[in-house]
Amino acid sequence: MDYPSDSALLARLLAGEEKAFRELVATYQGAMRAVAFAIVGSRNADEVVQDAWLAVVRNLDGFQGRSSLKTWLLTITANTAKTRLKHNRREVLLDDLPGPHGTIGDERFAADGHWLLAPHAWHQDSPDALLTAAELRECLEKTLGSLSELQGSVLQLREREGLELDEICNLLQVSLSNVRVLLHRARLKVFATLEHFEETGQC
Amino acid sequence: MLSCKELVAHSSDLLDGRLSLRQRLAVRAHLAMCLRCRRFIKQMRLSQAVLRQLPQAPIAELDALAAKLAELRRQQR
Ligand SMILES: [Zn+2]
Repeated sequence: MDYPSDSALLARLLAGEEKAFRELVATYQGAMRAVAFAIVGSRNADEVVQDAWLAVVRNLDGFQGRSSLKTWLLTITANTAKTRLKHNRREVLLDDLPGPHGTIGDERFAADGHWLLAPHAWHQDSPDALLTAAELRECLEKTLGSLSELQGSVLQLREREGLELDEICNLLQVSLSNVRVLLHRARLKVFATLEHFEETGQC
Repeated sequence: MLSCKELVAHSSDLLDGRLSLRQRLAVRAHLAMCLRCRRFIKQMRLSQAVLRQLPQAPIAELDALAAKLAELRRQQR
């Protein structure tokens, strides 16, 4: 197998070990949910994830280890979601729903492209220090909740789950240029929230 | 010469390592001279790290789901 870190877990899964399944779900369900969310939307995402898990167990013997376990799980999830969708594929929302704290837009720049309102230094410069404020955590959740389902999923898959952009395109069947646009705009909204919080101390 | 606005527009491609060689050189030259954009990029990276570390909601019914899946698997064998 090309992915040695998966093979130990796989052996335990094949043996039907409950703890191994617990590990599998805890590690990958977040990413699976993001994939389902992007394709079928929030209303049906949980059901798709449940169905995907059943398909995973059904097909476990067929897993060849040619991809990582993660890629395999996410592919099954995407396929399950697409089957659910059948013909009524939702329109790809290239958004842009406004974020609660805006973005880094044209108004921040002078006509010649120089900063008009440049970012200030932040009080904290480590993620741990920033995240000690419970209010900031809630505030970020609010911003993430304001993203379209597709955009939120793209952001999560890239930033939290560490997927490559190409992988995201393949799973969600969105073009690379669209993924880049969605991701960039999402990052700027998150940036605007952090900046707002650093400057005002509130959400 | 790249403007600050253009640098911001390229920032995600910079973070993702997707700039062409020519763009990379232009971005590097701009950052060498522009404190404000250096700060912006640093804060973008910090935002990424914050997202990565933002605690995730616990999975509902994790134990029950794991038990069910393990049971299904054992039935199959
Ligand atoms: Zn600049």
